[in-house]
Amino acid sequence: MPLWIGPMNAHLNGHKELTSHNEIVTVKPKGEVYIPLSNGNNAAVEVLVKEGDKVKVGTLLAKRSVPFVVPIYSSVSGTVGVVKSMMHAVMRPCDHLVIVSDGKFEKAQSFSPIDYTSATRDELVDFIMNSGLMGCGGAGFPTYIKYKNPVNIHTLIINAVECEPYITADYRTMKEFLDDLIYGTKALLKASTAKEAIIAIKKNKVEVCTKIQALLANEPQIKLFMTPDKYPMGWERTLVYEFTHKRYDKLPSEIGVIVNNATTAIALAQSLKYGSAIDEKIITFSGDGLKHPVNVKVPYGTTVKEIVEAIGGYSAEDVLVIAGGPMMGKTIPTDNFVITSYSNAITILKTTPQEAIPCMRCGRCNDTCPAGLLPVRINNAEAVADLDLIVKLAADQCIECGMCSYICPSRIDVTEGVRRAKRALMLRKK
Amino acid sequence: MKFTFRVSPNYRQPLSTQWIMTELTLCIAVVLGYNVVYYYLNPNLGPEYAIHALSMIATSLVVAIGTEALWAKFYAKKPVLKYLTQSFPWVTALLFVGMMGVNKPLYVIIVGSLVSTLIGKLIFGGFGQNIFNPAGVGRAFSVLAFGGFIASQFPDVVTGATPNQVMESLGWVITKPEAVTAYLNQFNGLWGLFSGQYVGAIGETNTLLIMLVGLYLSVRKIIDWRVPVVFIASLFTFATIIMYFKGMGWWYPIFSISTGGAMFGAVFMLTDPVTSPTSIPGRIIFAIGVAFLATLIRVKGHLPEGVIRSILFMNMVTPLIDRGLDGWPLKAMKKYAFTIGTVFAVSLLTVSFTATTISYKEPYVPEDSIPNLGDPILFSTLPTAGNVNIVSTTVTGDITTFVIETKGHAYEAEWETDPKPNVIEVKINTVTKTIVSVTFVTYHDTASLQYATSHPVFLKQFDGLSIIVDNSVDVVIGATFTTDSVIRAVNAAIAAVLTPQ
Repeated sequence: MPLWIGPMNAHLNGHKELTSHNEIVTVKPKGEVYIPLSNGNNAAVEVLVKEGDKVKVGTLLAKRSVPFVVPIYSSVSGTVGVVKSMMHAVMRPCDHLVIVSDGKFEKAQSFSPIDYTSATRDELVDFIMNSGLMGCGGAGFPTYIKYKNPVNIHTLIINAVECEPYITADYRTMKEFLDDLIYGTKALLKASTAKEAIIAIKKNKVEVCTKIQALLANEPQIKLFMTPDKYPMGWERTLVYEFTHKRYDKLPSEIGVIVNNATTAIALAQSLKYGSAIDEKIITFSGDGLKHPVNVKVPYGTTVKEIVEAIGGYSAEDVLVIAGGPMMGKTIPTDNFVITSYSNAITILKTTPQEAIPCMRCGRCNDTCPAGLLPVRINNAEAVADLDLIVKLAADQCIECGMCSYICPSRIDVTEGVRRAKRALMLRKK
Repeated sequence: MKFTFRVSPNYRQPLSTQWIMTELTLCIAVVLGYNVVYYYLNPNLGPEYAIHALSMIATSLVVAIGTEALWAKFYAKKPVLKYLTQSFPWVTALLFVGMMGVNKPLYVIIVGSLVSTLIGKLIFGGFGQNIFNPAGVGRAFSVLAFGGFIASQFPDVVTGATPNQVMESLGWVITKPEAVTAYLNQFNGLWGLFSGQYVGAIGETNTLLIMLVGLYLSVRKIIDWRVPVVFIASLFTFATIIMYFKGMGWWYPIFSISTGGAMFGAVFMLTDPVTSPTSIPGRIIFAIGVAFLATLIRVKGHLPEGVIRSILFMNMVTPLIDRGLDGWPLKAMKKYAFTIGTVFAVSLLTVSFTATTISYKEPYVPEDSIPNLGDPILFSTLPTAGNVNIVSTTVTGDITTFVIETKGHAYEAEWETDPKPNVIEVKINTVTKTIVSVTFVTYHDTASLQYATSHPVFLKQFDGLSIIVDNSVDVVIGATFTTDSVIRAVNAAIAAVLTPQ
């Protein structure tokens, strides 16, 4: 790193100890579950079942094909209800298919399992597409896209960094299914055509590191890569830079790297082995707004409200319900929204008063911005609606990781200012 | 149940601006505290200096906080206490007073602190909005308003000239080894200069301590370490160039980073976030710029204390620097490296060229200067004995005339290779117990300082003073460091009169 650029990351107090070692609680929905039919965008979706149909866990309910193919499977057994609009974890209402659970959780095989070692690469990628697997890192990007046309890929990075504070879902899922992690990694390695796979994990997770290391003894193609305990080490760009010391323009495949989340690898392994799509997920419910922070294992489509009640309720009258971690997760002004197949955490924090004071131009946001932007300058440009300057400052490169607001000692919502700048750019493009 | 909505992220680092300012305040207090203790323990100064320094600090604080409180109440119309805790007037007040010499009367502090806060900060819109470093504005204003009295920190009897002021009078070039030693000995040598073993501005003298404080602030991430490091390194480099061209020793670059508030500026003034650029390359360019301008002002300008002026100038171009570096830094690394390199190279070349144009100069002697009369508080603790020799005593009626030889500044600084004592005639009326007159018979101290000491305005003060008040003379202090020879002579004469035969 040259002298004239900041660290571009920072150590955060993760509060991971709240949920990293206590028992995983299984929560089964008692009545209705709501299967989100879109990802918050209004993509066309074809519903394949009718109201009144009986479904089982794993029954194909609907299919999206534009822009990407995403089949949607049921997470409970029971009766199909109506399509209903409700709040989604992306903080926009969208259509959900109601399934009234019969409480039996009978399973149906969604598709035939395959042996990835004997299948061709194309078969494997098609399998990933049909399993409806979406990246479990939080963005919900269909996994198969990355593997469609790999060109000159040399490294597959399995991202087990989990840098968001409070979240331990990946960690707990890994601990639970270590063998599946290796299995899924090997399958993705084949799909990626890369020569080696790297499992990237924070070096302070000693216990899991040791276990993975032992398992890797007879896996010459897979290596363990221990990263510093910094945020946002789990962001693709930061992680790829940490490992390769190279930067890329749009996608890591430009420099021969594919990145996938560890939970994604595990989910793939389970789909391959059992012929089932994701129906249950380990989700971290943490934060000081909960009486008992804990990881829960829950069918997706279950409402946050139901889960919170099942694990002991809120610890305060006024809370922030955040879909995801506190850095990137959105605050949802209700707890009546559901866990999606790619959710990993719900963070509940007590609402504490917070007041911004004037910016003192200290530039800490500039020094730590993981995208190497100048957030304070973007904020200034946005304040005077100087769109040309916003373009020059590359505001569109911001991923809203929240670092600038986090680091701001004056408690200014810097990230929100950059968001406004990005919106202004979008409006101009239209 | 209430589900509050708030934009993400909903996670904040523990370090707040309020805490940053608190730690910074404590650090400045440590630096000022050192000097107060130093004055207290120094046998030549004593408690009165320490008390005066404390009252300067208190005055500055009261004026700054009071001004902002009134502003909050009557202009901003906001709750006063809340306004103050988000505006941090005490930081400005402490920084301002830290740049003032201990011999400054309180009214200078009052005016300076008021200007710092009101003109330097509030009229721009308060904390975060000001263009110029508020403390620097107050300091610069004081220099202009109170003239040479403040600017040159003209020494009183005890405190002596500031290092840069003496350098200024010599054209910033001393090459003769014995002259260098003599010069540095005024400030207890290079180490004394570095570790604050002399009297100057009440926050600036102890370079070593400020360096340690800066280290602490950097580790705590209160300040960006790059700013002081780049500034001091640049200042050192530029001084090294001058040293090389003029054949001076390594003492010169060390001297140049140890005086003139260089370290104080580096740690506390350049790092003021409000008035410096927001990006790292910007801050580096800013620091190089200040070092460059300070070097030029020192060797070519006719004013000492170049650091403050340079900071104010660079404050002015801060928006320009910010604007110039706007872009996507990650994609502009090469451009940044090139810009920083160019700024440094141009500065280096300019300093090299300047170095060839400066030379040792004879001290400047004003024709008809009137000495400045300072504050009357700093006087009566002077040593009465030592280095005095009563050459003759003549009694004519009531009047006793003493001719007294006393070693003046020539002996301490030893500019002249052959120092001679000053010879002073003191006439005392032994009946009325008053001083009749004090005059110079011969003067042998530094020529540039003679005008002040031997000036009638200075010597006239003694006329008619009672000698039995507390067995020592108590007059308004004069304006140069040679005056102590006069005081000593007078005290010796009084002692001779009062001692029973």
